[in-house]
Amino acid sequence: MTTPIEGREARKKTQPPYLFPGYVSTQKRAPLKPLILLPENSSSLFIPVFGHDSVRATDADLTRQQAGEPLGERIIVSGKVVDDDGHPVRGGLIELWQANAAGRYRHHLDIHGAPLDPNVTGCGRLLTDAQGAYSFVSIKPGAYPWKNHENAWRPAHIHFSLFGAGILSRLVTQMYFPGDPLFARDPIFNSIPDEAARTRLVSTFDWRTTKPEFALGYRFDIVLRGAKSTPMETDHP
Amino acid sequence: MKLIPTASQTVGPFFSIGLAHLHQDSTKIDSADAQTITGIVVDGDGQPIPDCVLEFWTASSFARVPTCVDGKYSVNVEAETTMCEVLLFMRGLLKPVYTRVYLSAAAKARDAITSKLVPQDRIGTLIAQPGIAAKRFVWNVKMQGGDETVFFDCRSSLLTNDAAGSLRF
Repeated sequence: MTTPIEGREARKKTQPPYLFPGYVSTQKRAPLKPLILLPENSSSLFIPVFGHDSVRATDADLTRQQAGEPLGERIIVSGKVVDDDGHPVRGGLIELWQANAAGRYRHHLDIHGAPLDPNVTGCGRLLTDAQGAYSFVSIKPGAYPWKNHENAWRPAHIHFSLFGAGILSRLVTQMYFPGDPLFARDPIFNSIPDEAARTRLVSTFDWRTTKPEFALGYRFDIVLRGAKSTPMETDHP
Repeated sequence: MKLIPTASQTVGPFFSIGLAHLHQDSTKIDSADAQTITGIVVDGDGQPIPDCVLEFWTASSFARVPTCVDGKYSVNVEAETTMCEVLLFMRGLLKPVYTRVYLSAAAKARDAITSKLVPQDRIGTLIAQPGIAAKRFVWNVKMQGGDETVFFDCRSSLLTNDAAGSLRF
């Protein structure tokens, strides 16, 4: 059994630091002064509720938002969102964005020379169901180059933004695809010190959700920090 | 046994594709009583950060606004708001920073928690200044430097650490 301090240090390694010099943009943007510690219960208990008015049916199918179908390998991404007690996060908003199959974002600042696909917005959103489950259809995004270092390429990924039980549960992350050869040189992926935590950002191929003659299934489960996250609450007045 | 929360990754430069549907249009004010906070977000060289998205959380509301090419943002909050909890996401932040803005020094003074924990010489970074008109405030965020904005961590377990003993209250 680990001591509280060892446990704390181990938990810390499951999240990236602010300053990670290999990811060059952190050098001038990461806070450098120590964070001020606040008691967990001092934060707002407000939980924004996003209804079905913020989510249309087509928002969870990124292949059916335009007149035609996007080019690329169709995928179905499914998973479950739970809090750190394992309880499902119900009705939680998930926002998604990604590049097209050629590795190009539909964004005016993306200057990568790969082609745009008129049938890809790369934008999706959905609400988790009563079991915390979610599923969406898309195409597999391509890898793309960036200027971080010589011959730098980001592994293929889908951006996820999630809401849970308040501000401390807020999570923005990236889901990767299994076996990507670009993992070893990607500073964003490797900023997470703990190997197991890093690996949990890699989705797993899933025969169960793979649909014959249609799409490959990938599974990506997510754990959000709960309203009461730490196991040593009793020490706190 | 607690599960380990999923690791954070940067929001990157193209977040507006996925997040813009909730961007508040601060040129539209729902109520005549609304308060407006404007400001600029700058990096360690004092350069404006044009690809930041800020979320303002209060006891009863949520507002998300991006910075523009000049690093400036503008957000409307409800008339009765005296303090917002704020998350900032941007390229170069592998996880969001968490801070607070008080809409007057008096509001700050009433918040015993922050008053006790934040060093006096840094507390000004959390207080919005009066703007050009009533109900208008200016609050800038500096990611680094001598006057770096105060950013918080919120972990009660850390407060049980002996090293943090002075932070008990």
